[in-house]
Amino acid sequence: MRGRFYRLIRDLHLYFGLFISPFVLVFAISVFFLVHSWLPRIASETSTTRIVSALPLPGDLQTLSGRPLIDALKPALEKADVRGEVGFVRHMVKEEKLIIPVTIPGRETTVSISIASREATIVTRETGLAHALVTLHKSPGQHVPDIRMNWFYMRAWRWLADATVYLTLFASVSGIYLWCALRAERSVGFILLFAGALSFFGMAYALSH
Amino acid sequence: MPLATEPTGPGESLKGPRFRAGFRRWNRKLHFYAGLFLLFFMWLFAFSGLILNHPTWSFAESWNNRKERNYEREMTVPGPEAKGDLGQAREILRQLGIEGEILWTTTRTDANLFDFQVRRPGHFFFIKADFAQKRVNVRQSDVNLWGVIKVLHTFTGVQMDDPRNSRDWALTSVWAFSMDAVAAGLIFMVLSSLYMWFELPQKRLLGAVILGLGSLICGLFCVGLRWLF
Repeated sequence: MRGRFYRLIRDLHLYFGLFISPFVLVFAISVFFLVHSWLPRIASETSTTRIVSALPLPGDLQTLSGRPLIDALKPALEKADVRGEVGFVRHMVKEEKLIIPVTIPGRETTVSISIASREATIVTRETGLAHALVTLHKSPGQHVPDIRMNWFYMRAWRWLADATVYLTLFASVSGIYLWCALRAERSVGFILLFAGALSFFGMAYALSH
Repeated sequence: MPLATEPTGPGESLKGPRFRAGFRRWNRKLHFYAGLFLLFFMWLFAFSGLILNHPTWSFAESWNNRKERNYEREMTVPGPEAKGDLGQAREILRQLGIEGEILWTTTRTDANLFDFQVRRPGHFFFIKADFAQKRVNVRQSDVNLWGVIKVLHTFTGVQMDDPRNSRDWALTSVWAFSMDAVAAGLIFMVLSSLYMWFELPQKRLLGAVILGLGSLICGLFCVGLRWLF
């Protein structure tokens, strides 16, 4: 019974670990970019501009804000063939303009809609793989939760990011169980576990007190 | 063929090249050595990542539950030896007995007025110095443990979209170095696990299917979405 349980945990540790390994790499590699505020330029950034007219804008545009505004702008964005996660929409009342940032990992699009003429100027920037990793690392993020996750794929990414956390926690707990079974490694393991705990709590204490 | 988590026998190295056996043994050892050392760091970043992804979880609310206090102090205006904004800010912080990462959030328009923020996990200081009045006003916000956990996840001292801010507190640099080390450790653990899996022929097929599925889904988000849309 104990042997079967051990083998089950060992197999789950292996297979869950394999499944999340690409996600862990995405989060780990992007840490270097975020910590050093630096993005490698593997390929040069490209930018294109185009104009789309006769956009279907909602009649009650002036009264909308937040998520209802984003939902109401979806048909216009679809007509303009702009897909992705819509960010915070800026309504420039004086200029009668809407500035809509739309993000796909590795691509940033800014849609400037002139409300009077129902015409949009669309600037698309291909920002590359490194930027895509950073975007994914920070998504959905802690800010403006009311408007976030308005694109299916970014909602799916949140599920996957959550799954990565849960499976990482499982992998670490099952890893401890598997290590405990290796009697010869217990003393070295305990020393490393203690050293890690000391470093972690020592640093956290020094930073916060 | 030994399994990844089983101890290798003493005669194993005799079966194959000595280097390969040694490499296999040390790869396995280092995999769980790294995991054990980084355990608490991994738990912090995993758990705080989960909380940051769910800002609506009320139990982890920190900012709305903050404790605030305001106080004003007299100060000695920083002399010419305090070079630039950073030097002046450091001198004011020294007088106030505050330590932390300095954050520039406003552009200075009046030489007599100097506003900046100081952050450290759990504590936020909003500082307004008036050089003409020789007084400094401090608004201090202290957040709960959830707030400390959230800030530790993002406490790098730099922001990608704001080149003005750079690390200016030694402990921020130490923490940033630990973030690098945790990331490097995780990359090593992933690579070492791939090697251990590949050394198990009976688990290669199912493992390849699962790894392929994970890579496919992850690849869709990293590069695929740009091709599709």
